[in-house]
Amino acid sequence: MLGEIIDDLLISKPTGPCITATRVFPAREAVTTPFPPSLDARLAGALRRRGVEALYSHQARTWELVHAGKNVVVVTPTASGKTLCYNLPALQALLCQPDARILYVFPTKALAQDQLAELEELGKLLPERPAAGPERPAAGPERPAAGPERPAAGREGREGRAAAPAASPGPALRMFTYDGDTPQDARRAVRARANLVLTNPDMLHSGILPHHTKWASLFQSLTYVVIDELHAYRGVFGSHVANLMRRLARICRHYGSTPQFIMASATIANPGQLAERLIGAPVEEVAESGAPRGEKTFLCYNPPVVNPELGIRAPYLGEAGRIALRFLREKVATIVFAQSRLSTEVLLTAIRGGLADKTGDASAIRGYRGGYLPNRRREVEQGLRSGDVLGVVSTNALELGVDIGSLDAAVLAGYPGTIASLWQQAGRAGRRSGPSVAVLVATSAPLDQFMVNHPDYLFGTPPEHARVNPDNPFILVNHLKCAAFELPLADAEPFGDLDVRRFLAALEDEGVLHHAGERFHWASETYPADHVSLRTVTTDNFLVIDTTARDARQTKRRQIVAEVDWSSAFATIYPKAIYMVESEPYEVQELHFREDEEKVAYVKRVVVDYFTDAVSAKGVWILRRLDSREDGRFQLEQGEVLVAEKVVGFKKIKMGTLENVGSGEVELPQQEMQTTSVWLTVSSDVLARVSRSRDELIDGLRGITYLLHHLSSFFLLCDVRDLGSWLGDTTPAATGAVATRESTRQRLLEAERFQPTIYLYDAHAGGIGLAERLFEVFPDLLVRALETLEQCACRSGCPSCVGPVNEVGRRAKLTARALLAQLTA
Amino acid sequence: MTERDGVPSGLTPRADAWTRAILGPFHPVARSSSASRVPVPRDTALRASGGGTHDGTTPGARWTRDGAPSNGPDRSTRDATLDELRHVIRRIESRHVPRAAPEPIERVLGGALLDTGAGTLLVTRREYPLAHRHGAVALADAFAASEPVLRVVARAGEEPGEPRGLLFIDTETTGLAGGTGTYAFLVGVGAIEDDRFVVTQYFMRDLDEEPALLEALGPRLDAASGLVTFNGSGFDLPLLETRFILGRRRWPAMIPHVDLLRPARRVWLGHLADCRLATVEREALGLAREDDVPGAMIPALYFQFLRTRQARPLTRVFAHNRDDVLSLVALLGWFARALERDGATLSAAELAGLGRLLEPVDVERGLACYRAALERGLDGGAGLWTCLRLAAWEKRRERWDAACALWETAVRHATFDPRPWEELAKFHEHRTRNFATARELVVTALHRARTADAVPRVIDDFAYRLARLERRLAVSPAPLAGRGNGM
Repeated sequence: MLGEIIDDLLISKPTGPCITATRVFPAREAVTTPFPPSLDARLAGALRRRGVEALYSHQARTWELVHAGKNVVVVTPTASGKTLCYNLPALQALLCQPDARILYVFPTKALAQDQLAELEELGKLLPERPAAGPERPAAGPERPAAGPERPAAGREGREGRAAAPAASPGPALRMFTYDGDTPQDARRAVRARANLVLTNPDMLHSGILPHHTKWASLFQSLTYVVIDELHAYRGVFGSHVANLMRRLARICRHYGSTPQFIMASATIANPGQLAERLIGAPVEEVAESGAPRGEKTFLCYNPPVVNPELGIRAPYLGEAGRIALRFLREKVATIVFAQSRLSTEVLLTAIRGGLADKTGDASAIRGYRGGYLPNRRREVEQGLRSGDVLGVVSTNALELGVDIGSLDAAVLAGYPGTIASLWQQAGRAGRRSGPSVAVLVATSAPLDQFMVNHPDYLFGTPPEHARVNPDNPFILVNHLKCAAFELPLADAEPFGDLDVRRFLAALEDEGVLHHAGERFHWASETYPADHVSLRTVTTDNFLVIDTTARDARQTKRRQIVAEVDWSSAFATIYPKAIYMVESEPYEVQELHFREDEEKVAYVKRVVVDYFTDAVSAKGVWILRRLDSREDGRFQLEQGEVLVAEKVVGFKKIKMGTLENVGSGEVELPQQEMQTTSVWLTVSSDVLARVSRSRDELIDGLRGITYLLHHLSSFFLLCDVRDLGSWLGDTTPAATGAVATRESTRQRLLEAERFQPTIYLYDAHAGGIGLAERLFEVFPDLLVRALETLEQCACRSGCPSCVGPVNEVGRRAKLTARALLAQLTA
Repeated sequence: MTERDGVPSGLTPRADAWTRAILGPFHPVARSSSASRVPVPRDTALRASGGGTHDGTTPGARWTRDGAPSNGPDRSTRDATLDELRHVIRRIESRHVPRAAPEPIERVLGGALLDTGAGTLLVTRREYPLAHRHGAVALADAFAASEPVLRVVARAGEEPGEPRGLLFIDTETTGLAGGTGTYAFLVGVGAIEDDRFVVTQYFMRDLDEEPALLEALGPRLDAASGLVTFNGSGFDLPLLETRFILGRRRWPAMIPHVDLLRPARRVWLGHLADCRLATVEREALGLAREDDVPGAMIPALYFQFLRTRQARPLTRVFAHNRDDVLSLVALLGWFARALERDGATLSAAELAGLGRLLEPVDVERGLACYRAALERGLDGGAGLWTCLRLAAWEKRRERWDAACALWETAVRHATFDPRPWEELAKFHEHRTRNFATARELVVTALHRARTADAVPRVIDDFAYRLARLERRLAVSPAPLAGRGNGM
């Protein structure tokens, strides 16, 4: 069936010529190992009851390494049975050592929920469970014990005493999630009872470690720490998590435990290295998957040119929708990845419309993205697993390991931006046997065009590195404060492997720490974890409220239909915007964003045939120069800048044809961020020597901007997204106004003095020291940039050097090279 | 500390030197240290200035360290230089402030140093005769309390035993945040010794004296038959437990506990402005503290002491803590008096509150309190509540006359409450089967509900009931005689 559709796509008239590349990844046989003798018979029995008779080689290898006392990271494809790699040792420990405690860390609450369900499934197959049915946290007592000298751990014990005088050991598996969703009144019971706790880094940071005495029994006997989705912990977020692990290690030491780490990661270039940086200890890598895989076809699809004169291609969303429909009409389970929340809704509308025409069952296609309320998302996940939902249109929210079972086809509407994401998304389609297909539909953006036209690059480039820098002073200092809050820091105590004495002295100088008895004590009224957010997300979400909703009695009832985070609110719920939830359109009536207001967007249900897309403008201006380096050929400066973005209007785009049918203006505040930056202004002599065309020079400089931005993440051990870049000029902030990319070029072209300036700024408000470091390494960075350009095999620009040629122009690479040669000579 | 301003890294003014050491001399933070400026929230990604266009301020002004961006770089540089100057001056000054040799702390605070074997700490001791009056209550009243009284004020299941074995306990802490980084630097405990009430305070002269404090406190807890606190279950005891576990000591979790916040809430909630100890002791115990230090200032005073070693300002903290311990005794005495002698001196609202407290333990006494409160003219929200509560018990005991009388009172209440109307209508519809009376009641109730703008559900329920009554009246229009109220 699937094979026929693929053949048809390849051969038939409209689609065939658009397919620019085909790769077939052959099926692979399973490599299995019999159950290891050390595997508990009960556990082996449970696996057999599930139809599992042997372990895949990577599962067996992980088992061996864990039993040899090693820390392990497993890096195998989606659906290769990664979770069993850590669930087996965990369950074995719980079955065989009554005291063992295990901590699971997932990047999101939803994943923790998923895994709990999975563990419970497996748990149900175990024999000799004293209590049938799921365990309630409120049930019986559990004898608490704390500290190496085993003092009784308090009030929980007391309450238990009232319920039943003798502490019963309870069932072997007492597994609970502990996160922001855990009701307050259940938390105490979870702390007292659980021997396997599933949580997330944020909760560990602000809810568990600062209250470790309440978790004494967990930390005393912590056997394994399981960290899944390891690749999510990169850049600044990863650096926070690495420090969190240093804090965890201190607490474990205090209670006398040394847990082993079992980790799992999606494919990235350096999983072992990332794991070692994160936990600060040696880690063994298991990368050879023994899971079988069906044959997988990967197609690159470039929408047809509809206007040859202007080189305009058919809208990619429409094309992606049509391809998805080909699969869905034949009942092929399909996932469609859109690159934004808006395009998710647009695609969903198109696909539902298309299905309603023919087979009628449009309800089997669902949407999935951030902003949907949790129960809606759970419903979709459940439906996908059970098969009730045939297809889903999603943002990269489903890229993470949310369990949705396996699907047969993945349609990627647009290149997801990184090679690692590409494989994650494509990997959502693929069963252990039988064929599957992934189709990448290119947008007309230069990067996408480059990818589909250079399949060798696409298929041949290794996935990106994940970098962390736990020693970044800004991040480190915050975690030192948290660490001191948790447990006073001894004078010469290292933090991780780092000597932090000077930081502690500085914090004492601050009055935050107080030195007494050879230890640094927390000496402030505040709760430091509250002031450190591991992710740059704000809690200020906008509620989207439907004012036209009515309840069963037809009385008006304001109903929350979605949540939108701060950072995307202005681009999605501006007044008159069409906001869609599972393809149902609402028009935004009012947006309340003032400081003293509740953050709310009031919307009403409408029937329209268009959606809206925000038009935004940007600007970067110098606020204060703090350091500069003059060289004759260029001036390099470092200081504070104001980065501003503003939604200035919107376009109305017709559903289906995607033609522009109108526009509007909006009055919204400029979103500003003050941060630190370096900026490079090339001297007019050098510019003149390279070219006399401002146009050409702008192209070359844009190329250099792109290149420096990407190279910087190597130097700074951060993620590309932790930095921002911009080619502007040296206008002071007072006179600056935001502009679109095109109008910025225009301004540069028309300026009296041509002073193009490259900005590389810290993407975290206030800065976390990335720009200062860049300032120091800048000469090296320029040299490396030239080397990279010279070594790059492309002719006139690719994503690995100056950016895709269509974005920066034909001569950009040449100009960039000439400029760099001048600057580094 | 500027922590609350949202600068999570704590890079407050004095960060200069070390920021520079770590990051090189030109880190912006090192230069933006004027306290008058608005710190930039580091934890916020691109954010709007929150409606700058509406409130007249320029967007961005909130986030800009130098005020509006239009100040430009020149002004900023100058400011930075000024800042640094100010800063240097401050540093030099602070270095040269002649520090008076601190007076010995035990002399200032009136105590003695105690060597516990786990270190030394400061212990103060004050004795009070039992006749000592704290506000309007004598300390002796608390110790005259019988065990049943203690059982009424304690949570079900707690057996605090005999009042003379109780330990009254209150802590002063380095903050309210909770968690492992909050210390109880001063613990005041009070107990009977011979015929005197003795308040002992254990004080850490530095944060490393905690082992000594726990060492001294442990035996006191062990010796007590029960603990008395105000909000101890929510705050003091979990905090002490954390300290004990952190110090690897056994926490005596099994000691019975009387948290006076619980009975105080039952008695005074809704009637006093709040149920904080300060409010209750002022309103109910008639206590006026003189020169009391506000609780919120206490952590700062302790941190200041840690830095300066000047103990003088702490005298007020010690006095505050002693007063708190005495208030615990007085409050228990208040409950003992109110519960053991009759409540002639109590207000109607207090009587109703006492009824709430007694109801779960001794229904009849509780109901008697309710009746007494109503007789004394309790009205307002509390009157309505008490009326309905009492009526519910009368209904449960099928004392219909009493119940109806209470509901009749309740429907006359100024604020509309659907419940008594509904109860009366139910009574007439199902008990006396007097549909006409029931209908009349429901019509009036419906009218009152609409006038009072009641929620749709209430109106719907009455409308539904009315429709049913109309149907029943159509079938049997005449009320059935001889099935009066008495059944």
